Amino acid sequence: MSGTKLSGRPMLYTSYASEMALLNTTTKKVMVGLLLVFGAAAPFIFPDAGGAGDSPLDINLQLLANACIAAIGAIGLGLVTGYAGQVSLGHAFFLGIGAYTAAVISGTDRTGRLVGYGVDEILIWLPAAGIVAAIAGIIVAPLATRLRGLYLAIVTLGLVFIGEHFFKELTNISGGTNIGRPAPTATLFGVRLDVTDPNFSRDQKLYWLAFVLLVIFALAARNLARSRVGRAFNAIRDRDIAAGVMGVNLARYKTVAFAVSSFYAGCCGALFFIVSGFFVPEAFNLELSVLFIAMVLVGGAGTISGAILGAFFFTLLRPVTRALPEYVPFISDVSSESPNVFQLETVLYGALIIVFLIFEPRGLFGIWLRIRNYWKAWPFSY
Amino acid sequence: MSTATAVSGATTIGESPSGVATIATRVRDRARTMGSQVSLREKDFGVWQEITWSSYWDTVMTVGHALLALGVEPGDRVAIHSENRTEWLYADVANLAVRAMTVGLYPTNPPAEVGYLLSHSGAKVLIAEDQEQVDKALAVIDQCPDLERIVYIEPRGIRYHYDHPKLLAWEDLLKLGAEHRAAHPGAVEERMAAATADDIATLIYTSGTTGPPKGAMLSVANLNFAIKTLVEDQGLATPPASTSDIGLSYLPLCHIAERTFTIHQNAAGGVQMHFGESIATVQADLREVQPTLLFGVPRIWERILAGVHIGLANASRLKRLNARLWLKMADRIGDTLVRTGGRHTVATRLVYAIGWLFFYRALRERIGMRRVRFASSGAAPIAPEVLKFFMGIGVPMHEIYGMTENAAVTTINHPGRIKLGTVGEPHPGVDVRLDEQTGEILTRHPAVFVGYFRDSDATAKAKDAEGWLHTGDVGEWVDGTHIRITDRAKDIIITAGGKNIAPSEIENSLKASPFIKEAIVVGDRRPYLVALIGIELETVSNWAQRKGIGFTTYRDLSEKPEVIKLVQGIVNEVNTRLATVEQIKKFRMLPKELDHEDGELTATQKVKRSAIAKLFEGLVEGMYSSRDLAGGAR
Repeated sequence: MSGTKLSGRPMLYTSYASEMALLNTTTKKVMVGLLLVFGAAAPFIFPDAGGAGDSPLDINLQLLANACIAAIGAIGLGLVTGYAGQVSLGHAFFLGIGAYTAAVISGTDRTGRLVGYGVDEILIWLPAAGIVAAIAGIIVAPLATRLRGLYLAIVTLGLVFIGEHFFKELTNISGGTNIGRPAPTATLFGVRLDVTDPNFSRDQKLYWLAFVLLVIFALAARNLARSRVGRAFNAIRDRDIAAGVMGVNLARYKTVAFAVSSFYAGCCGALFFIVSGFFVPEAFNLELSVLFIAMVLVGGAGTISGAILGAFFFTLLRPVTRALPEYVPFISDVSSESPNVFQLETVLYGALIIVFLIFEPRGLFGIWLRIRNYWKAWPFSY
Repeated sequence: MSTATAVSGATTIGESPSGVATIATRVRDRARTMGSQVSLREKDFGVWQEITWSSYWDTVMTVGHALLALGVEPGDRVAIHSENRTEWLYADVANLAVRAMTVGLYPTNPPAEVGYLLSHSGAKVLIAEDQEQVDKALAVIDQCPDLERIVYIEPRGIRYHYDHPKLLAWEDLLKLGAEHRAAHPGAVEERMAAATADDIATLIYTSGTTGPPKGAMLSVANLNFAIKTLVEDQGLATPPASTSDIGLSYLPLCHIAERTFTIHQNAAGGVQMHFGESIATVQADLREVQPTLLFGVPRIWERILAGVHIGLANASRLKRLNARLWLKMADRIGDTLVRTGGRHTVATRLVYAIGWLFFYRALRERIGMRRVRFASSGAAPIAPEVLKFFMGIGVPMHEIYGMTENAAVTTINHPGRIKLGTVGEPHPGVDVRLDEQTGEILTRHPAVFVGYFRDSDATAKAKDAEGWLHTGDVGEWVDGTHIRITDRAKDIIITAGGKNIAPSEIENSLKASPFIKEAIVVGDRRPYLVALIGIELETVSNWAQRKGIGFTTYRDLSEKPEVIKLVQGIVNEVNTRLATVEQIKKFRMLPKELDHEDGELTATQKVKRSAIAKLFEGLVEGMYSSRDLAGGAR
């Protein structure tokens, strides 16, 4: 029976479907609706990057597009780390696999130096990047079924170094150290998104692409999280032995967690450089992994909204730190000098992780929850 | 049924071919006219499962056939021993359909009382909820020669474990019913058609505070008058209960009040009735269901009030300040409403509207009374302070008065004509007068019961030759329209000085404090009044935690000097409002929580004074002994 809905009684559920609904309250419906409208309208509110006289601290569309793309990756890491409790430091490795898969499919072989098949259609290279990364995830997953906690973190850390080595050495794919190759070309149904046309600018189109993809990926992740699979993830996170006793197939669900997470990472990696248009193999280093861990932990582990929040927080933080050398004279913006702004960023990520783990373990989203619960419990405290 | 005519409009709902409407015909007609609409919701595995009128009636028919298959004849008794759940309604309505009498047993009844009720009523079939209730019945089965079948609803712990020949699972009962229905279609309808107004519909055992329970017989005609007065006319809510109303069934269904609010309002008014998971989840269920019509006994209202106090005491500073401000305002609004009889003035409306934004809306949502349009208290006396609190926060609260022997039809405080401290005005068609000598309230109307089952002496005492029911309550007229009840006649205390004192008023003033759960005033033929006081464990332990007072058990907490001081403060405060002879000179703490199983409370949680007086004789005597006099109030 589908169940009727009694008006004005939001807590009276007459079916499991209504209790499990994504937007189970009117407030949520309204807030998400407003957020979607705001997100879709952002290209008319925020300027393109590189406009005349803008300061590095202004929010522009390139920054927002990058934040949306980073959020897809953070959601992926959130699924395996936040939901399933498998700490993975190997996220950069899967990002790299996705990025190179997409670049190889979409790239053109102009000089004979790089491999490329020239298939620009995003509907082909994006899923392909995700699938190849997911396959890599499935190959790595057996490690996770045997290890947990710190050991898993160390092993996945190893992945990053192996990946970095291969990315640097396979010059016909990556272009080689400090040389790099162009990012994949974004064409949707034959329409080039990475060039400005009379109607819309490049930044506007790329932002819309990133925003729509984020909504799709976030919805998919949220649905996964509230399904049988998501509940199995939570059970494994809370206590894998207990989950196993309850009948959760540990090997299977840990594999699923890694596969899905890697799929997200692959897609994120494929899109990660379309805004800047170019990337080098050194990008997929430990710092990138730590950045994503920081997004998940600072945003709020175990929530999709938290991962998105964290991704936006760190992406929008970057121009602030990059602007620091202007104001703080002893910090250099050249990577060969010390102390430089890149070192500072790494230190900042670490510091933020420590501060949040100690003082606000539920992250930025936890702060929001705290505020919400304060008013929800009104006029009592619980 | 082939003879059925098309039912049109609400006025003909419930007419049976022979002209007698019963609950069963009402449910049947609703199944015909609005079969696909929701009648009942029962919370199961976290979700409110919906039962439509047609499936409700279908199950009733199956159970009715099953009862026929078990050989239930008109006038036979069928006992139901269960907490509130849909099966209670199926069984009760099916009983009515096959013209059997329903005998309700309280889930808390201990085995000895179960034995008495089953044997005295001569019940042929017992429908027991679970292993606990089946065990009680099996323990006393030798005393009940008439009992032929024990049907159990929850099979856990019984199926495959018990092999008593009289046991039958509810599922098997339904199977039996389905087979009988296939073999004898129309048998239940035939039985229904033969129903008369004089059929005894139900046997309600009153939980006498003295002596064994007596079974009051209420006929179909009695219930029909009660339904017409309370549900169909504006006896309770104005406008009357309708299909858009929501109710929560949580008090024992064997009591006439909950029977009226659950079964009568559902069948006659079409109110969508909700059944929570258990009696322990009432607070959460209230919040989810947000009923529009709500009935509670004083104990329930006192508990909710205590819960509000605990919640606010534990709230953060800003929330506490906010609550203090708006509770003070609520108190003033309550005062005004008491003066005007429940009608808002412009000033109170304005204050309430602002308070609604900051406090009242959220508070009412939390206690499940956001959408209540008619709340009522009855079945026992309640302190006016408690009623005033609810009126002040915007819950339209009305005290009502009735008893099993008159199907709960006597008086009500009508909306807009409330007089706090009274039980209101007689319903239309109800004669009420006071006995000239004793002041006892007498009532006469078509819902006055037929008599006590197998007890003509008691019947003669309760109902005189002219049909007046002697309620046993002493009362007085207020302004010629409203009745104020002084106390139960037999509870009136006459002090050694010859003063008549009504203990329940003093007790209720004490119980209005969130810290006091029980108060028993003693002083008959004594020089002064004393009291036995039981604390509310939840609030006092919370208070002790906040004060940093360590304790182990209920008794330990009760006897802490700080707690005694706290109670002393409440007693002193109440004393200031009383005449000198009515003041509590001394009190002692009850060393245990009073319990039905221990014989200290009745099934309806009323204190059995005689039992208490005997059990705690030492404590009471201690307060009157000369050596303790010097100490004064402790």
